[in-house]
Amino acid sequence: MNKLYLGGIIFTALMLLLTYLSVGGSKGGLNDDIVNTLAITGAVALVIITVFVVIKYVRQMQVDSASGELADENWDGIGEYKNSVPTGWAVMFLLTMVWGMWYFTIGYPVNAYSQIGEYNEDVAAHNTKFKAQYKEITGDRLVEMGESVFLAECKVCHGINADGIDGKAANLNRRIDAASVKHVLEKGSNNKLIGMEMPMPDRNGLFNTNSGALITDAEIDVISAYVANGMSGDGADIFAGACSMCHGADGMGMEFVAPNIATFTPALVSTVLTHGKKGSIGVMPKFDRLNDKQKEAVGAYITSISK
Amino acid sequence: MFHWLEKHPFFFAVGVFVTIAFAGLIEILPNFAQQSRPVIGTAPYSTLELAGRHVYIKNSCNACHSQLVRPFKSETDRYGHYSLSGEYAYDRPFLWGSKRTGPDLMRVGNYRTTDWHENHMKDPASVVPGSIMPAYRWMFANSADIETAFAEQLTIAQFFSVPYNQPVPMRDGSSAVVKMGGSVSDAKALALEEAKAVAADMKDQDVKDAVARGEIPEIVALIAYLNSLK
Repeated sequence: MNKLYLGGIIFTALMLLLTYLSVGGSKGGLNDDIVNTLAITGAVALVIITVFVVIKYVRQMQVDSASGELADENWDGIGEYKNSVPTGWAVMFLLTMVWGMWYFTIGYPVNAYSQIGEYNEDVAAHNTKFKAQYKEITGDRLVEMGESVFLAECKVCHGINADGIDGKAANLNRRIDAASVKHVLEKGSNNKLIGMEMPMPDRNGLFNTNSGALITDAEIDVISAYVANGMSGDGADIFAGACSMCHGADGMGMEFVAPNIATFTPALVSTVLTHGKKGSIGVMPKFDRLNDKQKEAVGAYITSISK
Repeated sequence: MFHWLEKHPFFFAVGVFVTIAFAGLIEILPNFAQQSRPVIGTAPYSTLELAGRHVYIKNSCNACHSQLVRPFKSETDRYGHYSLSGEYAYDRPFLWGSKRTGPDLMRVGNYRTTDWHENHMKDPASVVPGSIMPAYRWMFANSADIETAFAEQLTIAQFFSVPYNQPVPMRDGSSAVVKMGGSVSDAKALALEEAKAVAADMKDQDVKDAVARGEIPEIVALIAYLNSLK
């Protein structure tokens, strides 16, 4: 055993002692934590391996002498031995080339990170989960969902209580107000409320079959009040004469002909959310980004509050 | 060649730079040029919309509102499709904003309407309880600067080849033409025509009267601009 090994052993012991002291000195030592144990094991291994590898190469420098066949060429007096390539090195080199080809052709193109890709996966995962979770939702839970969607998307115009904020938007606590009915009677309407184009004529196309003439201003006022009042009060006869052939005697509408003007239904609200509408107050934009279940839920909520 | 390069350090440095930058030159530059092309459905701003954009900038709307929807579900749920770089092709400067004190406005034209903007700009808290946005009542009185908007249109049409008076492709396969007047009075007439359509959906009688007189209040231009953000 020469001095080099002796020095190495002393140095290792010193480092291990320092490690032990610093771990012991820290709060709680290893603390029964697997990570701490791993870290300290690693530190010990590192100290021992480093010291003995260094010793090996220092020894080699001390005792090795240059030998072998020199290459013909030399560069400013510096020569090169004609040693063969170390096997391990050559294998690693070839493996790196193989890996490089894999990375260029498959590794990068297939596995590259894409922000939009992650977004698409995120949305797809959410939609699948949403569909599964709310497939069977009905009744009160559907109304609750509708309320939460309403509070997120609709309250900005219709208000927290769906009262339309003093006429800034439609008051959804009832089906329709007199001003809207009057507007539609005078100017006609084509809002795709039944899901397709089906224009209602303006006042020049509205006959009161009772009198056999175009409806008059007075009749418009009566019908407006009657419809806005929830299909009750004066005016049932004029409604029957002028409106009921399309909207039904009870105002509940007819499929493919005219929308329900007596009550809200989930289907009606869904249609409005899909197409938007333009009425006496202004334009309502369409809310196509809601999915069908959410539209149905908003419909259920509005139907429930407008009763 | 290499001996020659070794004797000419400047050209050697150029060669080194090109070699190192090569991947960047062939991968980044063409992609960048492609991505900055307008996407289908992006049309240049009309005179009135551009005047509204100036109102938007003048009042520092972009200090509180961003115009950039990031590709996260939480954002696209609230603001619509994430932004594409080509959608900013006609924005000079772009108005991405730096922080959202208020909501993003990238696609506000899809889910807010003329009459809502009118109520909101007059008194934000009346439609959004608790809103900290200030009221912008002077926009109902001040006139929009159509001359400057037209000057900008002329400039960008000439120097950046912005396609005014030419068909631009729309998403549904049709094409739209954004008109630019041939003279200032022409441009004003076009802007007034647009302003009339916006004012028809508004409630404020003073604004309606002003438009009927041939004036264009700032609020009309601003709403036209906001409605164009889709």
